[in-house]
Amino acid sequence: MNMKKKILLIIGLCLVVFCQAFAQNRTVTGTVTDNQDKTPIPGVTVRIKGTQTGVQTDIAGKYTLTAPQNATLIFSFVGYVSAEQPIPASGPLNVALSTETKALSEVVVTSQGIRREKRTLGYSAPTVSNAELTQGENPSVLTSLTGKIAGVNITSASNTPGSSTRIVLRGGSSITGNNQALIVVDEVPIDNSSVVGGASSLTAVDFGNRGNDIDPNDVESVTVLEGPAAAALYGSRASNGAIIITTKSGHAGKTEVTLNSSNTFSSILKLPTFQNEYGQGYMSGSATSAGYVTGIDDASDNFSWGAPFTGKTEPWGQEIDGVNQMKPYSALPNNIKDFFTTGFAADNNLGISSATDKSSFYLSLNSLNSNGIYPGNYDTYDKYGVRFNGKTKISDKFTAGINIDYNKIQANVPSGGQNANGIWNSLMQTPRDIPINTMGDLNNKYNGYNTVSNTYGFYGAFVLNPYWQLANFSNLDDVNRVTGNFNLTYKPFNWLNIEERVTADSYADRRKLITPKYDFTPADESGAGLWIDETNNGSYEIDQLNVNEVNHDLIVTATHDFGKDFHTSLLLGNNVRERSTTANFTSTNTSGGLVVPGWYNLENSNGPVDVITDNISIQRLVGFYGDLNLSYKNFLNLEGTLRNDRSSTLPVNNYSYWYPSVNGAFVFSELLKNSGFGDFLSYGKLRSSFAQVGSDTNPYELNTIYASTVVNGSFGNTKFPFGNVPALQVGSTLGNSTLKPEQTTSFEIGTELGFLQDRIKADFSYYVNDSKNQIVSIPIPNSTGYGFNTINAGEIQNKGITLSLSGTPIKTEDFTWELRGNYYKNNSDVVSLPNGVSQIAIGGFVGMGIVAAKGYPYGEFYGVTNQTDAEGRTIINKTTGQPIPTTSPQYLGSYNPKYQASFGTSLRYKGFNFDVLFDVKHGGVLFSDTKSLTDFVGTAAETGGPRFGQPFPNSVYLDASGKSVPNTSIPYSVYDYYTSVIGNTPGMDVIDASYVKLRSASLSYTFNKTQLKSLPFSALTIGLYGNNLFLWTPKSNAYVDPEVNSSGAGNEQGLDFAGTPSVRNYGINLKVTF
Amino acid sequence: MKRKYRNLKQAFFIGLVAAIGFSGCKKFLAVNDNPNNPDHGDPTLLLPTTQAAISQVIGNQFQVFGNIWAEYWTQSPVASQYKSMDQYAPLNTDFDRPWLNLYRVALINADLITKNTGAGLENVKGIAYLMKAYSYQVATDAFGDVPLSQALQPTVYPNPVYDKQQVVYDSIFMYISKAMPLLKANAASPGAQDMIYNGDMSKWIAFANTLELRAYLRLSSVDQATAQAGIAALYQTNPTFLTEDATITYTSTGGNENPFYNEATSPTLGKIQNVVASSTVVDEFKKNNDPRLAKFYTLFIDKIAPVDSLESIPQGSYLSNVNKKVSPPSPLVGGQANDPTSATAPVKLMSVAESYFLQAEAVARGWAAGDVTALYKQGIQASFTATGAGDATTYIASAPDGLPALTAAVGNVKDEVKAIITQKYYAMCGFQGFEAWNEWRRTGYPTFLVQSAASTIEPGQMPLRMLYPNSELTSNLHFPGVVPITTPVWWGISNP
Repeated sequence: MNMKKKILLIIGLCLVVFCQAFAQNRTVTGTVTDNQDKTPIPGVTVRIKGTQTGVQTDIAGKYTLTAPQNATLIFSFVGYVSAEQPIPASGPLNVALSTETKALSEVVVTSQGIRREKRTLGYSAPTVSNAELTQGENPSVLTSLTGKIAGVNITSASNTPGSSTRIVLRGGSSITGNNQALIVVDEVPIDNSSVVGGASSLTAVDFGNRGNDIDPNDVESVTVLEGPAAAALYGSRASNGAIIITTKSGHAGKTEVTLNSSNTFSSILKLPTFQNEYGQGYMSGSATSAGYVTGIDDASDNFSWGAPFTGKTEPWGQEIDGVNQMKPYSALPNNIKDFFTTGFAADNNLGISSATDKSSFYLSLNSLNSNGIYPGNYDTYDKYGVRFNGKTKISDKFTAGINIDYNKIQANVPSGGQNANGIWNSLMQTPRDIPINTMGDLNNKYNGYNTVSNTYGFYGAFVLNPYWQLANFSNLDDVNRVTGNFNLTYKPFNWLNIEERVTADSYADRRKLITPKYDFTPADESGAGLWIDETNNGSYEIDQLNVNEVNHDLIVTATHDFGKDFHTSLLLGNNVRERSTTANFTSTNTSGGLVVPGWYNLENSNGPVDVITDNISIQRLVGFYGDLNLSYKNFLNLEGTLRNDRSSTLPVNNYSYWYPSVNGAFVFSELLKNSGFGDFLSYGKLRSSFAQVGSDTNPYELNTIYASTVVNGSFGNTKFPFGNVPALQVGSTLGNSTLKPEQTTSFEIGTELGFLQDRIKADFSYYVNDSKNQIVSIPIPNSTGYGFNTINAGEIQNKGITLSLSGTPIKTEDFTWELRGNYYKNNSDVVSLPNGVSQIAIGGFVGMGIVAAKGYPYGEFYGVTNQTDAEGRTIINKTTGQPIPTTSPQYLGSYNPKYQASFGTSLRYKGFNFDVLFDVKHGGVLFSDTKSLTDFVGTAAETGGPRFGQPFPNSVYLDASGKSVPNTSIPYSVYDYYTSVIGNTPGMDVIDASYVKLRSASLSYTFNKTQLKSLPFSALTIGLYGNNLFLWTPKSNAYVDPEVNSSGAGNEQGLDFAGTPSVRNYGINLKVTF
Repeated sequence: MKRKYRNLKQAFFIGLVAAIGFSGCKKFLAVNDNPNNPDHGDPTLLLPTTQAAISQVIGNQFQVFGNIWAEYWTQSPVASQYKSMDQYAPLNTDFDRPWLNLYRVALINADLITKNTGAGLENVKGIAYLMKAYSYQVATDAFGDVPLSQALQPTVYPNPVYDKQQVVYDSIFMYISKAMPLLKANAASPGAQDMIYNGDMSKWIAFANTLELRAYLRLSSVDQATAQAGIAALYQTNPTFLTEDATITYTSTGGNENPFYNEATSPTLGKIQNVVASSTVVDEFKKNNDPRLAKFYTLFIDKIAPVDSLESIPQGSYLSNVNKKVSPPSPLVGGQANDPTSATAPVKLMSVAESYFLQAEAVARGWAAGDVTALYKQGIQASFTATGAGDATTYIASAPDGLPALTAAVGNVKDEVKAIITQKYYAMCGFQGFEAWNEWRRTGYPTFLVQSAASTIEPGQMPLRMLYPNSELTSNLHFPGVVPITTPVWWGISNP
């Protein structure tokens, strides 16, 4: 206990003694606690109303006071709403104080760590507290924000620890550049790269994005600065908004040790709906029953296009040592579901915080150990972290602070995609009668692959046993990361504050991608079936990424009051930033593979080691910024900012650029305060802002380069050196030495309203963001000799509204009921593209592009689909009965939702707390390879039902005059359609991505003091929680969680290409404070 | 304590001055020189790029299209990669990659060589001009009208116009004539940087003459006068013709293998045998009792064959032979995916056999002096030698499509040409599918090609050109519009 507290206690005790000596009054005792976290509050002033007599609570929040029997006690403490309570006739008087939440005094952290009262802000800056953030115990801070703020589009690929989360505020502004918000943790702009493993998004490994490294348990609050206005001071990189994360610090008077422990179980959230009528085999296609051919059994097949189930016991798989396994020929409805196991994750965080009047610190240790839903211990993610936040007052004028966070992550990420290592890809091709879930014993000769005899006994010739894939392919990740903020503040005068701050973010990410070498021939002796050899040359790849970013900021703030009502502050700052990265990707020879099976080292390369990437880059920026703030009385505030950046990445004659912002806030309710209306409208604010943000580009875009030659075929290549012959080729992108900075302009108008003492609150914004002069690498005709040109061109506009509503219908001492909802609608429009370019590819694959197309929303799918008539009916070929494809690719909708909404409610009764949150995305689309694949192999539900003699559903043919005639009689070959015809219309695999999710639910109980009397804890909460719990999708999506994305957190979204499936998480949580 | 404060104040002051002092700013920001790549490329380093790129086009993408459309190969019933070719239903995107390799790798780097102003580069530039001529011929033979006059100049012509095929051919002859004096100049030899002839200029001169002969003969149907005059002029120079295949020697080193084999062994295709023997050519080989059949294919015959296997299947009949294994092309032509010796198969930009057959045709047409029969026999023997089939004497004498075919045609130019082109067709099996398809489109020979069983186009129609790539359609303002594959190119006959 510190000296000050001791003195106060002695004074308090003296007072008690004094009072007892002079009056015959009742002695009252009690405990003062925080009504949110139920922890005791030391140092609360307890005063007898109408007197100066009072005491302070001790370290355990307890007080003892003698007062007249009919007296009323006033409890007050900074940051809490004062409470008045009459002394009860007998017994203790315990009081729970609530924190001041009035909008008038709410303080938010804005750009550059500036703390501002929320009422003075001319832009939207919603804040999420730790309690709200950790409701569902999701280990990702970014995913945890889902549904809690309007104006944010969050997509969590698989919702497993370490997987990708994309966060875009108000639609994003860039055609090909980064569209995600800048993430700032304790004034440290942190790297949020998402470097997907694998050669392309069709063979991707989701190593996550680095913005998810921070532990939510350490977070005190998150403020979201949605527009460029809010982020003008951060410069270029905040043109997509900023997520300002503030971590915990020590609070004066409290020493706390908190242990938060969560044990989470996971299970797969959504599997495709399968047909259960037909088993393994293929057929000769015929449209009518007359030509019905019973499915020809092929025991090696990945097709479920065989005969209808008979239930008869039949041999299956390979004949080995003269023996065939036998099983009934019938459906196994859960063969895929039962392949998955229950995942488990233990998340522990131990936080210690303390403070004296001079120093404070917060120290936390955390660990997260997870083993996902794939069987065995192959999909693991282990993260260990240490954080230290400290601050000390060196003297009256100097304060020094430090925030340091270290994280170590080790993970093994199962592959997605269509290559030999793709597990989902193998599973989805399992025929409906194959008991894949029982084939985990790889020593069983019918399940495994024998590396001695080099034979395999597994039934499938076209896919590998997924258990064997898990055990033999791996994608290992090892990340070491340190981020830190070191700052010193000098306050020579009351009106002047000078802060010097250096922040750093540095990590090394080392990956090892392992593909085994094998050459198996089938063990089969029967001669039936089409078993083919399974071969792979194997490979071993090491990917090393290093990112270092250092920022220096010097910020001088002066304040001056002109009279009583007029307050001004001026901030001047200088920012120097350097970002340097290295990327070294090397692998054993791509075509040669490994020499010795099972030895994973570059020394084992069969042929020269391939240097995939050997890249370093340095990028520097010098910025100067100013912020002038004028406020009049309590209700009028005006702010203007101006920033100049000089970037190393731009041509010297264009490397300096200026950008301004202005915003104003008018708290009109202050003027109504004394009218009757003021009782109804407790808070009302109008706000508006206008801002520009300039943006630079990537390093080294000014000159055309030469590179070592690789001549690519479709899948292979010719690579130099060729023997001893070296070669160079000119780069595919033309350098451009006339680039100018990009410019994003934004306008926002909004209001914040509070009714009936803020029991009902509303926050509304309308915004328009316009990004021009985009630096885009546009495809140019290859006949120019080059593929791309980097130019300033193109414009994207985002317009939208955000609305947040919250209300507290019931609020009594014991019972509180709160409701909250968000609505967010953004319309993005690609306004213009460079001359002659109708669209720019941002992802997809041959035949199915994801593009930014002029006149369409950002992120449109573009591909050939079936022709339909005006009424949406499919047009078929009169002869074959098959749908006719469109003659050219069509725009099929954007991955961006038309609107998003969320609804949450919480109920609090005494120690019980119940909270649920639903969220909705409506109107986007996704491309589902899961659909494509399960259609092709005949396992999808839509391939079930009658397979002969049926006309194509809801179809028409065109008569001689081109008029639609409903087709009720012309049958089509279902088999041909799904195994062949549909392959030419990838647009048929673009489906509605709308969903409703039960995003989180929790039920907790907080023990009160009496219950904890004999225990060493000062607070104890236990709870049940879940996140990503339930999913509702439209009928057309019988395949995947629409959030599943194969290419991480980049601009290529809505691509389900056999990625990692998403999970629901649920568990039990214990939070103890000592 | 006081003193310490002073230091801090000083430090602040210095920091402030340093930060705001602009003098160092420019220097501090001057870090945009790319440390990862050079900003210029020596012509001798660009030369192998150009050669490897052409070889990738001819030896991989066009190898498959050519060998399928010339009906040497057809889609295997147990795989599916090249179905659309047998269906005559390729997508525009299928041609993005070869077009890219032609313009963005082969031609641009050749152009950078010819435009280099350094000294002593005559020989290298001469080869580069030939690479340009060859690449443009490949491009125009495949696609018809293609960009040339405005190509390869991105800042002046960001949207190159498409030149008529006739104009492109004029330029091809012009490039060859530009190459000649450069090849003859006494200059530094590129040596091993010339992956085709190791810097031997006499071989390049023979290559130039053979290429010119090939190009003029290509015009035989559409512009006989030009062809005849051009060939006459060529023969007046006492030209030498190619006696050594123009080919890159591929090795079994990863990334240096035969491009088609490298493709087949890529992790994506995983050594799956996608192409198999087509009965169109196999039946003809058998009719002539041709020993080369067993050289071009790894034949599945009788007991050697696995269960359910076939020697060949009719072109495009993969659907009616579901799950049947069929003889794959041999490692000699780089076509057997599971045989590592496929890696060293050559890609023949031009072959010795072709050289003789070209000369034979010129003589047969009466446009050049010479002995048709001798050249014809030399062509067949060259093919036998290239395939390791030994002495061709017996075959030449007895095979119906051997000498008897030529002898029977004496005095009849049309039938002489038919015999010559048909023999050239046999010689090109698996080696030069694209060129065989070109010559069929020009002459209609051989006459035994059939429409693929998997055809999705009208009966009787055949693919007569390749589709313009999707990349041009979406990026070039001067894109001339899609031309269907059934429309012949300018020099092609309408119903071969």
